[in-house]
Amino acid sequence: MDGGTQGAAAAAWENGTLAAVDRLQSDRADSPTPGLVEGTEPGAGQRSAMFVHAQSFEDLSTEVEDREAQLGKSEGCDAEEFNVLVGEKPAQEPRNNFSSDNKTKEEDISSEAWRSHKKHIFVLSEAGKPIYTRYGTEEALSSTMGVMMALVSFVEAEKNIIRSIHADGCKVVFLTKSPLVLVGVSKTCQSDKELLRELHYIYYQIVSLLTLTQLNHIFQNKQNYDLRRLLAGSEYLTDNLLFRLERDPSLLLSAVTCLPLASSFRDVVSSGLQAAKAKNLVFSILLAGDRLVTLVRKKDQFLHHIDLHLVFNLVGSSSSFREGEGWTPICLPKFNTAGFFHAHISYLQPGSELCLILVSTDREDFFNMSECKQRFMERLSKRSAFQALKEALKCPSYSVAQVGIPELRHFLYKSKSSGLYTSPEFPTVYQTDGEQERLMRLYQDLHSALHHPTRPLRTFYRCGETENMLALVTSGFELYLCFSPLATKAMAVAAVNKLLKWIRKEEDRLFILTPLTY
Amino acid sequence: MSTIRVDAKVVMLGKESVGKTSLVERYVHNRFLHPYQNTIGAAFVAKPIQVGEKVITLGIWDTAGAERYEAMSRIYYRGARAAIICYDLTDSSSFQRARFWVKELQNCEELCKIYLCGTKSDLIEADRSRRQIDFHDAQDFAEEIGAQLFETSSKTGKNVDEMFQKVAEDYNSTAFQYMTEDTNVNLDQKKNSNFYSCCHGN
Ligand SMILES: Nc1nc2c(ncn2[C@@H]2O[C@H](COP(=O)(O)OP(=O)(O)OP(=O)(O)O)[C@@H](O)[C@H]2O)c(=O)[nH]1
Ligand SMILES: [Mg+2]
Repeated sequence: MDGGTQGAAAAAWENGTLAAVDRLQSDRADSPTPGLVEGTEPGAGQRSAMFVHAQSFEDLSTEVEDREAQLGKSEGCDAEEFNVLVGEKPAQEPRNNFSSDNKTKEEDISSEAWRSHKKHIFVLSEAGKPIYTRYGTEEALSSTMGVMMALVSFVEAEKNIIRSIHADGCKVVFLTKSPLVLVGVSKTCQSDKELLRELHYIYYQIVSLLTLTQLNHIFQNKQNYDLRRLLAGSEYLTDNLLFRLERDPSLLLSAVTCLPLASSFRDVVSSGLQAAKAKNLVFSILLAGDRLVTLVRKKDQFLHHIDLHLVFNLVGSSSSFREGEGWTPICLPKFNTAGFFHAHISYLQPGSELCLILVSTDREDFFNMSECKQRFMERLSKRSAFQALKEALKCPSYSVAQVGIPELRHFLYKSKSSGLYTSPEFPTVYQTDGEQERLMRLYQDLHSALHHPTRPLRTFYRCGETENMLALVTSGFELYLCFSPLATKAMAVAAVNKLLKWIRKEEDRLFILTPLTY
Repeated sequence: MSTIRVDAKVVMLGKESVGKTSLVERYVHNRFLHPYQNTIGAAFVAKPIQVGEKVITLGIWDTAGAERYEAMSRIYYRGARAAIICYDLTDSSSFQRARFWVKELQNCEELCKIYLCGTKSDLIEADRSRRQIDFHDAQDFAEEIGAQLFETSSKTGKNVDEMFQKVAEDYNSTAFQYMTEDTNVNLDQKKNSNFYSCCHGN
């Protein structure tokens, strides 16, 4: 459970030049230092933030903890963590031989293969009815889920909350979000908190399809309802989300990455969307694959990064929007769990990667949204920005070599105030799926260490056989770096400043510095 | 590029995976894509079609068959001039669902002309025993409700163009009768709250 200090060469790291000094750096042109405060770090937006300002990672877990703490208090009893510790295995280096396991729905649940999956996710109703399983079929698992529900209710009867069970290298984490119960069973070295965060994402995914109001309504009418009926055909969204949680730095960092684009062109695109407004239009989002080109929002309305990730997941998982214009209800649970927005989703051209999402509050708005899109397209082609966009799509990423730090293999840099991050493409050493997955897990470990609930670290250096990792967090940014194993700590330290300078120099292209509203 | 003028709104209805999207794909792009991707919400596409001397633009709404979108369906079929209600010839439960849509339209959209479409006819041509909905039973039902019946295959393209052509022709000939009334799709902004409750409680 101790995400902070695990790993062979973990060291709380103190170094004169890097110890975070919260010194206000008002002049953007100045060379950035790790002491930069929020709002002045490279990539910080010049006006207001685009997203709901959330204490990113903490946002998710504190929410539950608060609720549970309150519950405990009001019941006047001890809401201590219910941990059954049966000889926890020491945390190990993540395994190398990971092959991305595809959905194997037909898998026999009594088979060794089913048991050996690293992470199982189950969703059930409070009546113990299966709703979702990552592997195998829900039908086959109904008795298993019954047992899970029995555990939850047994503990609740004692006015307690079951949070996790740790046994023999296996963690079972529970999340009760009435009317749903989510259970994660993991053999990874992720902390409870990280697993809980993933369960939250799954919960929000389900809410985004149905709204919480509808969920409550259904189960109030019929406790025994089989929710799979209403979720039919959406399982792949949850599957994909789970895959993203393992592989996509955006979900780890609670941030979004942008398509590199000259700021002059990005501004044309943004102002095009700004001009193509309509009464009920709340958000206009232009995506290039998994990258944000721009986001324009109604004044005073903010999009939460989780909601945006759900939109990314919806669009990225489905080819259904490839043809014609899509029009679908979507609940953005961090905005409002009660109601649906209506999203107009279409690609700018057949076969193009550029996807426009116009989010309206009015379900009758399809033709208005369609017209907004037309207006936007006209403006884009008039200012020849469409061509520029297509050019930019040819190199949606950049090589780490551009930074000019030989030992540096890869990095993740997140500007906290803008909620945006940047990262180069994977270098050749991390070309295979397995290697990328392994690197992501190293980043996850660093992330856990920096966000440990009781003992968060500000810097973290870790030497490994295959790479050396460094992470640091200041009030303005989070930075995770991966070096060749030959690099020394001194090199790593020197690299940070050099990298920050490079990001500052490139920030126009890599970030959205002037987010617009309508 | 200006907003496309749509003459007739056509809505595709039917149980999930009966082949609504495939019909539209075949008709609009003349192709058949195999791996199934369920539709999310609905997709709209405008398709001009030659009828005699005239060009009529059909605005086709391909709706999702998944049950969770059922409460949304009204916005897709409201004001529709034609509904193509699909069922899978190899799946009798899909015919039950088709009956449900027929009733719904008869109650809510009197002006909407109904076309019944049995899909995946290539499958039963390959293996007759797979047919679950008898042609004559379907025909009787079609007569009873005053609908036309087609059996199509999006895989081979059989009967697909013919069906949409018929839809356009019928629209064209009835359009004269309604000339004095509104001949366009009704795009009125009838305000509805964006919240809707679900009624599949049981
Ligand atoms: N053999 C054969 N298969 C077909 C035919 N039409 C559709 N299919 C297959 O049936 C499956 C479902 O087709 P879709 O067109 O996506 O079904 P849909 O009605 O749009 O489904 P929803 O969007 O979920 O409501 C796909 O795997 C298609 O390949 C057909 O004419 N012949
Ligand atoms: Mg479809």
